Amino acid sequence: MHILLVDDETEFLELMTKRLDRRNFQVTTASTGEAALEALARIPVDVVVLDVRMPGMGGIETLRRLKAMAPDIEVILLTGHANMEVAVEGMELGAFDYLLKPVAINDLIFKIQDAAKKSGKLT
Amino acid sequence: MAGIFRALGNLLRGSRPEPPSPARLEALRAEYRGRCESFRRLLAANNAALDVMASMEEALRGQKPFGMTFVRGQCARAAANVFQIVRQLSILANGRYDALFERLKEIQAAIAPHVEPHSGGVAGPLVLPLAEAGVDLADEVGGKMASLGEIVRRLGRRIPPGFAVTASGYRRFMEASDLQAEIDRRIQTADASRLDELFALSSALQGLILAAPLPGDLKRAILEAYRSLEVQAGEGVRVALRSSAVGEDALGASFAGQYQSELNVPGDEILETYKEIVASKYGLTAMTYRLTRGIPDEDVAMCVGCMAMVGAEAGGVAYSRDPLDIRGGAVVVNAVHGLPKAVVDGSFDPDVFMVERGEPMRLARAEVARKPTKYVCDPAQGIALVDVPPEEAGAPSLTEAQVLGVAALAADMEEFYGLPQDIEFALAPDGGIVLLQSRPLHESGRREEAAPSDSGLPVLLSGGTTAAPGVGCGAAFAVRKDADALRFPDGAVLVAAQAHPRWAPLLSRTAAVVCEAGSAAGHLANVAREYGVPALLGVAGALEALDGAGEVTVDADNRRVHPGRAEELLALRPAPRNLMEGSPVHAALAGACAHVVPLNLIDPDAPEFTPENCRTLHDITRFCHEKSVREMFLEGEQAGLEGFSKQLTCGKSKLKYWVIDLEDGFDGPVEGRFVDITRIASGPMRALWRGMTAVPWAGPPAADARGFLAVVAGAASNPELEPTVASAFAVKNYFMISRDFCNLQSRFGFHFCTVEAQAGDDPQENYVSFQFKGGAADLPRRRSRALLVAGLLEERDFRVEVREDALFARLEGLDKAATLDRVAVLGYVVIHTRQLDMAMGNEAVIGPLREKMEKDIAGLSG
Repeated sequence: MHILLVDDETEFLELMTKRLDRRNFQVTTASTGEAALEALARIPVDVVVLDVRMPGMGGIETLRRLKAMAPDIEVILLTGHANMEVAVEGMELGAFDYLLKPVAINDLIFKIQDAAKKSGKLT
Repeated sequence: MAGIFRALGNLLRGSRPEPPSPARLEALRAEYRGRCESFRRLLAANNAALDVMASMEEALRGQKPFGMTFVRGQCARAAANVFQIVRQLSILANGRYDALFERLKEIQAAIAPHVEPHSGGVAGPLVLPLAEAGVDLADEVGGKMASLGEIVRRLGRRIPPGFAVTASGYRRFMEASDLQAEIDRRIQTADASRLDELFALSSALQGLILAAPLPGDLKRAILEAYRSLEVQAGEGVRVALRSSAVGEDALGASFAGQYQSELNVPGDEILETYKEIVASKYGLTAMTYRLTRGIPDEDVAMCVGCMAMVGAEAGGVAYSRDPLDIRGGAVVVNAVHGLPKAVVDGSFDPDVFMVERGEPMRLARAEVARKPTKYVCDPAQGIALVDVPPEEAGAPSLTEAQVLGVAALAADMEEFYGLPQDIEFALAPDGGIVLLQSRPLHESGRREEAAPSDSGLPVLLSGGTTAAPGVGCGAAFAVRKDADALRFPDGAVLVAAQAHPRWAPLLSRTAAVVCEAGSAAGHLANVAREYGVPALLGVAGALEALDGAGEVTVDADNRRVHPGRAEELLALRPAPRNLMEGSPVHAALAGACAHVVPLNLIDPDAPEFTPENCRTLHDITRFCHEKSVREMFLEGEQAGLEGFSKQLTCGKSKLKYWVIDLEDGFDGPVEGRFVDITRIASGPMRALWRGMTAVPWAGPPAADARGFLAVVAGAASNPELEPTVASAFAVKNYFMISRDFCNLQSRFGFHFCTVEAQAGDDPQENYVSFQFKGGAADLPRRRSRALLVAGLLEERDFRVEVREDALFARLEGLDKAATLDRVAVLGYVVIHTRQLDMAMGNEAVIGPLREKMEKDIAGLSG
């Protein structure tokens, strides 16, 4: 399964890539919303894990555009800035779920698998 | 959708003459699987939402500290999960309850004001002369500088000349380079309940602040203010930089020593030192303190007072009333040679002078300590600890006239503020008394209720000063360095050489404190009193006598330490206090909880059971759960779903269980309304069933009379147990299965539980989750049952959380056989813990019960 991880924190990207790689996920990373959109155009992505607060194009705007590009793609929001309004807005825009950091790796993987199941990428 | 099901039902009942095309059958099955997926997601979000609510409730009642990041995080989690629940119900019910989206929005809007950060903005001047400060400007200069300013303005008392870098100045700094947002993010992503993570977080945050540049306008304002001070106090005057946080006195909380102060700083280092003091807002002690007292991080703007340095001959702390006898008439003066620092941080024993009020005041008692060292201004910068000649070491630090002068000053401050005061003072080289700060005294006021003086118990150690009254018991643990603090066990007795402020973060989980040095005037003593932790200071030989002594009982009132657990003394101690109560963070949580936790929708058959009547997130959750169950099982059945939902049989007996096959859960096509247990091909369901039936249930355990009463009382006060609440779902138990998957929803008697498991060939996809809540007895008994189950599961690799009476257990990543073993254990637990809560009041029952359950479970895997 191919996962696109979007986060401006490079430390987090490295750590998550390592952990997901160990579980046999293919991981592509992007550190901005713009880069995420480019990656989505190039690579067959199954599930996106998206940070909400990023410099440049924010997570919510990125989500909006990702969904416009590929309505069936499932996006999990994962954020370090807990915010109820943003949580509900993200869900309204069709995010698969909204998770807060720190997240246990197993919980994230479980959520990714469920998202993939929904988009028909995993049966 | 209903039409599809009707068609599917008819088709499966064979009442339709034409056989369906395989493609159409597959489409119907896929649609049905989609509904099951939605239902499963709804249940998962339902469980997560209830989990969040339970933790919010627990936080509200409990003793565990939490900050605004917790409150905001839980609200965001609750809202996201409830959205998920509504979304899945919308799919199941074809949009029939979409009014709920609107309700969620409205409830969210009601929660928002409680969790929004207060943005102060940069409104005032960045820097303000102290002489212009006063209590009316407390929001700009902080409590400490405001009260000093007030004293100059109104009483004409002597304080060092200086200025304050204001709250506006602080916010200017925090807004520059988006520093505050980055700090907030790091606080959220760290696990603040672990001391080692808190250590790492604290140093990372301080590093961030030190590395951030000061904005140019703030820099210029500070340097200009210093130049004006030079005109007043002499060129190149050294300054003391003192933290003066806004709101630090709001709770009567003692912030003393939480933040850094720097003494004797030269002009060219003011800017760097200012940053250091701002950074000390995130010192470990201060962060823990705010957390345990419920002070929102953003409520604390760090103002910094910058005052000309007093090269003190002597100094100390005075209380306008004895903190241990607040109604008495005595003024207490603690003093040392040199700078007053030693008194504040408890580095060594000060002289203690007791002054009786009266006309005139009278020195009633003087305890002159040996003070072999003192702090002085270092000629280079900062301060230095120097030895003093032996004849000076034993001499009193103040003359009688000076003691009376300080006492009079303390009494004046009390009169001025109308509250007992705690003042810090210095004796200037010209003999004048300079006031460094004055703040309300934190009383302890429990002396009258002290334990009996002679208990006749063996004594390990005695002597010292009662710095905080009370009796505490725990394992003695000596702390000598910071690394010891990281290993400090919860509920231990803290033993140290000095009553150093750096041990303050441990006090929220300490049973008692014993130190070889230190006085009741120090910071640690202050915090101990505030937390209600008994503290005995100045006990010679404490480290040697107590290190490795195991469990001890500290009787601070009678200044004795006894070996072991002295129940007769502990019985007298007051209940632990809820430190969060009354704090702003607690108030924010309570405000948010009011829109999240209460359950108003009780009767699903009542006409009020509508989306419009959902007033809280819990109402929405409850509403959706009820409706989703009806959609899945009742409406579905009317629509012909019985083709999928089959009653379980075991030979000739019909059981109270229904099975829904998601795709390959049976060993082949099963006709009719029943499925026999032998036809089940689902691994997890078979394992669960094995556990459920391995040992016959002996019926409800004998409850003692109190247990029975507890059940009656619990049932009467718990709306969920109203007989009218029982929906059709409540009396049926459903398995949803496929070959490698099983979800069991069940209600046994008064308790509700969910088991879900995936057990296939890929260990990475395997998991087991278990949720269990309710019961009919009172909360302590229900909770005690949850803890019993938690113990059983933890020994079998589950990660378990107990919140109030709810239990959440989960494990992942085991291979198929091991996963199935754990599922069987849950099967046993599901059956054998029903109505156990009634017996849980009685220790004599719990022990043997636990043993029997352990034995039964051990037999399962055999």
